[in-house]
Amino acid sequence: MTPDALNRLVAQLSKLPGIGEKTAQRLAFHVLRSPPEYARNLSQALLEVVDKVRLCPRCFSLTDGPTDQPCGFCTDTRRDDKVLCVVEGIADELAIERTREFRGRYHVLHGVLSPLEGVGPDQLRIRELLVRLESGAIDEVIVATNPDVEGEATALYLVRLLRPMGIKVTRLAQGIPMGGDLEYADQATLARALAARRDLEPRVRVR
Amino acid sequence: MVRPSRVDRFEEESIVLSTVDYGEADRIVTLFTLGRGRLSAFAAGARKSKRRFPGALEPATHLKARLVERRGDTYRLDAADVVTSFHHLRSDLGRIARSLYALELCRELTRDHEAHPQLFNSLLEYLALLDRAQAGPTSLIAFELDTLARAGFRPQFAPCLHCHRETGPRPVFDPDVGGAICGNCAPQFPYAVPAEGRVVDALSRLQEGERTPFEAAIRSGARDLLNLFIEHHLGRRLKSVDFLNQVGVD
Repeated sequence: MTPDALNRLVAQLSKLPGIGEKTAQRLAFHVLRSPPEYARNLSQALLEVVDKVRLCPRCFSLTDGPTDQPCGFCTDTRRDDKVLCVVEGIADELAIERTREFRGRYHVLHGVLSPLEGVGPDQLRIRELLVRLESGAIDEVIVATNPDVEGEATALYLVRLLRPMGIKVTRLAQGIPMGGDLEYADQATLARALAARRDLEPRVRVR
Repeated sequence: MVRPSRVDRFEEESIVLSTVDYGEADRIVTLFTLGRGRLSAFAAGARKSKRRFPGALEPATHLKARLVERRGDTYRLDAADVVTSFHHLRSDLGRIARSLYALELCRELTRDHEAHPQLFNSLLEYLALLDRAQAGPTSLIAFELDTLARAGFRPQFAPCLHCHRETGPRPVFDPDVGGAICGNCAPQFPYAVPAEGRVVDALSRLQEGERTPFEAAIRSGARDLLNLFIEHHLGRRLKSVDFLNQVGVD
């Protein structure tokens, strides 16, 4: 008969996304076979993430700092206060951060407008974004929502709200990915890439 | 001896009605197919691989879907070739809102495995008009009336459903009975709601094929009556109606 403690662990692990009964069992046996220190560290990490990690009151990214204190992105004095990048979720924020090309501030919406799912503006952090922008310190908002129908709808909705405030609103460029293949690009992507084509550097004349 | 499981491969001209993420990398796509009506298909790896279904699984995309029928009622989407992506309509919030409303209406008014070739072509035509920025708010109302009629829910705006005379200046509208009733017969329909004569008249003319754009007040009245009618017959309000209101589109 399997010990109850092991059954409970398997049951909890199988609730994780992408983890089925078999995988949960394999993970549980791995924990059981590992040194007890590993299980203690794992449980400690799980408790800490629940107890300490919360949303930043300014940009709604994740932070584990003191309550009511903004996160590292918001307090970093080396960042540009005049440019704000609006993203759908925290994974998108991290993706942009990995480029090391953006040094402005962020605002996380925690979703996108989804008419078919019944997700409207009130369920996103749009009101908080407008409050942030009222200070007048931000010159440009980069809308970095995904280039799908819902992301486009959200971007266009934000443009409608922000343009009257006199703020420059820009959208991430869309087109052929690096290392991509024109032959396999879809109509919409190729059309956007053509529309957003850019001038190449002027040729240097050889005398 | 193990008998091979029976699989049926086929290709269907389709319009993507909606998609739902499934698990870590997959997506369930609801398609409106020309030959088999509405069906949901499992698109394995649709979220992970951009090469498998490049830009093909966005709502309103017209495509040729290669499907595999598995164990009766479930389908697998093997490949999708885009016929028209209708991507121009994504550059305008109003057109996005109207296209999603049209898709939700078709999704809710059709049943799985019941072909509606006329409704399919009507939706395709409406999406093409939206894509070319040639469909305004009155076109959406005309599309709704046409869709309701093709799905077997045609509301009647003239003559009076009860006495078959003109509906007159103070008609009422009863979604349960199926349309407009004149002021004289109204007391016999206690659950009917008051309607404006000019709104009922405009909807009747639109149903007959007249294509004069409605003024804002008529559109608003028509929207209220159609919302009431659709909600009554579907048993729930369409989700995209709220979006139309939130973004100020009719």
